[in-house]
Amino acid sequence: MYAIISIVSFLILWAIGVHYSEIKIVMPGPWEVIKEFVDSFINPVGRHTMPLHILYSLMRVVPAYLVGSVFGIVLGILMGWFRPVNSIFRPIYELIRPIPPIAWIPISIVWFGIGEGSKWFLIFLAAFVPVTLNSISGAKSVDPLLIKCGQMLGASKKYIFKSIVLPFSVPYIFSGLQVGLAGSWATVVAAEMIRSTEGVGWIIISSMDTNDVTQSLVGIMGIGIVGFLLATIMRKVEDKLCAWTRREV
Amino acid sequence: MRMDKKGSVDTVIECRHISKEFTSKRGTAKVLEDISLQVRKNEFVVLFGPGQCGKTTLMNVLSGLDGATKGTVYSHGQEVTGPGSERGVVFQSMALFPWLTVRGNVAYGPKARGFDKDAYTKKSDYYIDLVGLKGFENAYINQLSGGMKQRVGIARAYCNEPDVLFMDEPFSALDAQTRYLMQEEIMRIWSTEKRTVVFITNNIEEAVYVADRIILLTNCPARIKKEYPIDLPRPRDYTSKEFLLLRDEISKNMDRTL
Repeated sequence: MYAIISIVSFLILWAIGVHYSEIKIVMPGPWEVIKEFVDSFINPVGRHTMPLHILYSLMRVVPAYLVGSVFGIVLGILMGWFRPVNSIFRPIYELIRPIPPIAWIPISIVWFGIGEGSKWFLIFLAAFVPVTLNSISGAKSVDPLLIKCGQMLGASKKYIFKSIVLPFSVPYIFSGLQVGLAGSWATVVAAEMIRSTEGVGWIIISSMDTNDVTQSLVGIMGIGIVGFLLATIMRKVEDKLCAWTRREV
Repeated sequence: MRMDKKGSVDTVIECRHISKEFTSKRGTAKVLEDISLQVRKNEFVVLFGPGQCGKTTLMNVLSGLDGATKGTVYSHGQEVTGPGSERGVVFQSMALFPWLTVRGNVAYGPKARGFDKDAYTKKSDYYIDLVGLKGFENAYINQLSGGMKQRVGIARAYCNEPDVLFMDEPFSALDAQTRYLMQEEIMRIWSTEKRTVVFITNNIEEAVYVADRIILLTNCPARIKKEYPIDLPRPRDYTSKEFLLLRDEISKNMDRTL
């Protein structure tokens, strides 16, 4: 309810601002953008309609995100739990961590060409880095008393890892997956700057050539809405898997 | 029954001349000093002493969770070198697994030790019933009250069938009403399924209510000050003359702390 009020009042302010000021030269009103957005579902922007652009972008994000997440979870948990693994990988990881995915664009083109490979690589990095970080902190924060408890109950080291370290880390992993998903989806715009003829990122990039602010805003809207939906789906999955973290008496 | 190398046939756990020191940058703190004690099979022993006197440290050493600086702990004549399923612990902070249901928590030990599903389900259901949680098998820990959580802790330790059960101030986090109830409950459970128990508390009433024998410890570093066998008939009455006399006498002998 509050969400609707907040969005509607934002749109009204936007409309008023555009209507009564000189901004209208560089900024279309909200109704125009929404109309164009809806229109993009029927009439193609460039070669495709909006749903197809979204689909193309998702086909870049989803596989790279999944692979990046799996790598991140495995490496992060191992780094967080096993000291030698941490000693080996931590320094390299710490060096890679602060580099924004877009800084890799030139290298990714040299390595993987201008096709899908370089885009997957950038999105992989955008997912891998935060998922690893959160998985490390999950495995590191396991309550030592629970480990003692496992030992006291006769569990082997392997069983303690499986039955205590992993489930304890799940909520941490999920916050990494959320951050990674948002990052991956944001990176798709940058990835699609590397020569593409489709995708929501392309919509924005191509609007630069024509100075079409409305088209740019349509692309932004597409990215925002899909990003929001992805985050919501992720939260639902988390709620299902981490029911035990909810407090209810 | 297994024959013992040391002590009587009945001795389940024994420690000899235990000392424990903690060393930090600021120096060395002695927490336990020359403690020797024996616990017989199915005996309910209470380690009683002022707050912060080292009771938990003593329990950690006896259960193998922590090593002693000097002295040795024997379980059935075998030296104790680390934690193991022969020595169960009920923790003050409960330390339950929140991602598991009540049944998952209680069955954890047998499952970890490789019992098959039928066996550990049957065992856990029996102990869940024993502690009075029938009907809550599939509840998660955060859906339970404090008293119920500690019932899970007791069932989990019982279900693993250890030789000795250590209980480290198990009721100190509960409100007063629940605490009385749990004292009655632990007596009921223990009478139904006899176990060797080492129970830690700093509450004199609780100590006299549950104990076969109270071992009174001094202030830190803890030494054994005196032992009191308690042979009042069970269930005990908190307000009977004998109960109050004992309570008074032991209280008088307890070291004062700030």
